[in-house]
Amino acid sequence: MSESVQAGYAPAYGGPDAAATEPYVEPTWNEVNDDVLRTMLVTGPKYWMLFGTTVTIAIVCFFIPWGLQLHYGLGLAGNNRSANWSTFLSNFIFWIGLSHSGTLLSAVLHITQSSWRKAIYRSAEAMTLFSLMTAALFVMVHLGRVWFVHWSVPIPNPMGLWPNFRSPLMFDVMAITTYLTASSIFIYMGSVPDFAAVRDASTGVRKRLYAIFSFGWRGTDKEWHTLGWAYTFFAVFVIPLAVSVHSIVSWDFALSTVPGLHHTIFAPYFVCGAIYSGTAGIVTVMFLLRKYLRLERYIQEDHFDKLGKLLIVLSLIWTYINVMELFTGWYSGGSFELEALRFKLFGFYAPMFWEMIFCCTFVPMLMLSKKIRTNWTWMLVISLLINLGMLTERFITVATSQPRKFLPEAFGFYFPGWTEFSITIGSFAVFATLFLIFIKWVPCVSLYEVKETLTPRRRVK
Amino acid sequence: MGGIMGIFQYEDDLLRLVQQLKNAGFTRPIVLSPVPLEHELEHIYGPRKSPVRRFSLAGGLTGALGGFSLAVACSLVFILPVGGRPIITFPPFLVITYEMTILCGVLFTLLGFHVVSGLPAWQDHPYDERLAVDRFGVIVPCAGEAQRVDAARLIRGAGAEEVRDVEDAS
Repeated sequence: MSESVQAGYAPAYGGPDAAATEPYVEPTWNEVNDDVLRTMLVTGPKYWMLFGTTVTIAIVCFFIPWGLQLHYGLGLAGNNRSANWSTFLSNFIFWIGLSHSGTLLSAVLHITQSSWRKAIYRSAEAMTLFSLMTAALFVMVHLGRVWFVHWSVPIPNPMGLWPNFRSPLMFDVMAITTYLTASSIFIYMGSVPDFAAVRDASTGVRKRLYAIFSFGWRGTDKEWHTLGWAYTFFAVFVIPLAVSVHSIVSWDFALSTVPGLHHTIFAPYFVCGAIYSGTAGIVTVMFLLRKYLRLERYIQEDHFDKLGKLLIVLSLIWTYINVMELFTGWYSGGSFELEALRFKLFGFYAPMFWEMIFCCTFVPMLMLSKKIRTNWTWMLVISLLINLGMLTERFITVATSQPRKFLPEAFGFYFPGWTEFSITIGSFAVFATLFLIFIKWVPCVSLYEVKETLTPRRRVK
Repeated sequence: MGGIMGIFQYEDDLLRLVQQLKNAGFTRPIVLSPVPLEHELEHIYGPRKSPVRRFSLAGGLTGALGGFSLAVACSLVFILPVGGRPIITFPPFLVITYEMTILCGVLFTLLGFHVVSGLPAWQDHPYDERLAVDRFGVIVPCAGEAQRVDAARLIRGAGAEEVRDVEDAS
């Protein structure tokens, strides 16, 4: 532990972005520990103000409306007889999508031994975990009678009721349970050596707690060897899992015969969209971590440059699939499909559709310029716009299809109720709260992997 | 078994010592480091595979079998005939099988990690807090006093910052 740590750090939040204008100086290994552990061990008043704000918004906008909805019923939402699925489900898809780049990107880059992942993957994986938790909350909110959620679990019960595993909703239960479990294990196991570093840098209760979290890790060659193998296997399992999760979410829609949803292209469309929004989410989170936790020496222009290039590729694929979805619907010539298309492109929600196209197809093309890709503010704005577009995409998928299925006499209309607006806003506060807790309990940058990217500590250079 | 522990500032000093220990006929020492030195140690002792992979395979197979059996069993105890379709049907059940393969694969890999690495290890082992920051350590198990003297000499000669006797060289 360096003297600066023992003497106490400067507050880590809200400081000026001084390092952005200074030339880059590679940190020493000691400084890596100090810089990253400072974000955990030193908590300024701005953190508590921010934490208090997000908790308050989460309670007021998410949990209280949910409580009222549990009391009065789902009628408080905009659901009606033709629109049984609502914003809660579109938000569920959005949050599942946002979860997709963290663990998936981390696993892919680990397998391909891309060293640029090392500074950003821990926070990206945390984003996966908390997005998934938020998504799981939306399933509960959507359920209405949430106290019967255990009916979806294959456990003996007095009714003799067992889950129907032919239903895509049960695929969902299995996929999300598996994804949540695997993502939790993936991030936890990658953090074990860093928990040991926190243990060694702490005193009192925190030291005892991190001694438990780190399993008594010492960094022996046997421990590193075993962790390396296990981590690679986790990565190998997680990649197909992540692809399967959003494919399965797409089948919630595509396995129905509803016009506008019954497309074979839905699985790759959803997976691509998920990775797209997740990557944009990583850019947003990295911007905030870099700026407010003073991690300029670890999260650099190069990371944003590479993430920007990835976003361009994903944007092009996403746009291509979108065009194909429209084309196949039009080419089928079916009257139901044509009506679904007409409503989506020119109906009540058409402005949202074109906003989505603007945000997800045209805006990302700005990143073709390297100046934009390496400009923090531009990247933040673009990443936020992409996710606005993706949130819209999820919404119009739900809002324009199910209420207008086949016969015009049965057509309905869906517009979100106040609980849906409120709970949607609150979900961002829930996510932010979880993330703020995370940065105080887990090193948000991997200590040992960042050290691997620095100059090795050798006598002979 | 007792032994000698050395702490080094530089990675290459440590690796040179490990090579010397191997040449001198010592049993494989325990190397402690803040970053993995797997590739460097492979150059000295050769590559080795981890038994963790067997746990992963066993987990995958158990999950596949368990997942398919679960879907079949649920269909048989709670029969839901839909449009004359078969009760036991492969396409949807393969999705459950796939997810369970991954779930059990991950859980068994986690189990394998704990079994093979010996963690959690709550009892005291030789350690130094600097080893989680920027120092490298080595613990050389020694069978007798003569080996202790030899090991200490080699460790000092390699440029160790600190050399100490340890009762438990594990």
